[in-house]
Amino acid sequence: MPPLSGWTLWITGFVDKAPALDHVMGFLANDFIVPVAIALILLGLWVGHRDLGRREQIQKAIMNASVAIGISTLVVRILNMSDFWPRPFLVDDFVIRESARYAAQTVFYLPRDPSFPSNAATISFAAATGVWFSHRKAGAVLYFLAFLWVFARFYAGIHFAIDLAGGAMIGVVTSIMISKVFMPRTEPLPTLALKVGRFLYIA
Amino acid sequence: MALDYFLLVFIAAIGVYQIVAIPAGLKGLWFFRQPKVQYAFGVLAIIGAFGWFYTSAERNFQHTIEGSQQLLLFLGAIISAYFITAILASIIQAAVCTRGDTPIKGKQHDLGMETLKTTTLFGGILSSLRKQREKGD
Repeated sequence: MPPLSGWTLWITGFVDKAPALDHVMGFLANDFIVPVAIALILLGLWVGHRDLGRREQIQKAIMNASVAIGISTLVVRILNMSDFWPRPFLVDDFVIRESARYAAQTVFYLPRDPSFPSNAATISFAAATGVWFSHRKAGAVLYFLAFLWVFARFYAGIHFAIDLAGGAMIGVVTSIMISKVFMPRTEPLPTLALKVGRFLYIA
Repeated sequence: MALDYFLLVFIAAIGVYQIVAIPAGLKGLWFFRQPKVQYAFGVLAIIGAFGWFYTSAERNFQHTIEGSQQLLLFLGAIISAYFITAILASIIQAAVCTRGDTPIKGKQHDLGMETLKTTTLFGGILSSLRKQREKGD
């Protein structure tokens, strides 16, 4: 059993108490809604600045965030190869297992992939951190969306708290490394990529 | 499911382009002359896309769209939405207003979207072609 697994029992205890809340959490936990919202915010930032210089700065931050999402997803894939612990609805502890199973079946569904680290937490926090360095307001909105997404998945009983914290940490650390260490050393490649984008009217 | 996902992103992306083109001053992407109408159109497109996607079928189930496939569908949808927006705006603006035929100063790989502040996508391409022809002469 992972650390803090009692928290899963506590949070899944709220399921079925307020059906409206379950619906909202089901909407937020969905595999497409929040990630598309995050990606559309990145798209809006890519296009939406009047000043050419500032737009270029933001576009580079979005490139950093995208690379960070790719690398952190790779890290998650590698970690998924070693089984840390099963999903909450598959553990040996009867009380936690049945509470999580009921929550997942009511709010979400029963995913088959490994529990640790959370893919959702990894990519959403990687995106938010990448943007944060260049656009604080948008970064804060993205962190808020990331938090909502992972909280909804915790509520749905498909992750332990440690899965989400681990995923968020991988996303944040990867994004910092990419934005501050790796990408600045790859110049002039990002600038060249932007020039190609400008030639095609997409940057 | 993949088609639904593509449509969700495609329609919502058109809405995003209409909204962000206002503060960015990218008039070459505008469908409407009045920013308020354009803003309302953009918001409706986004809300409509998400509302349709989530309510038209059960979406919380074990689906088969992998992360990499999701990324490809997303990129395909936002790029096609961008060019559809730019082409539609070119057609609408050619039909409703007559723009000055002023050539755009600077190279396209330096300007990028900046070109769309003063002309449409078609106008920008024509201007680039004209410049190349003048160089050739």
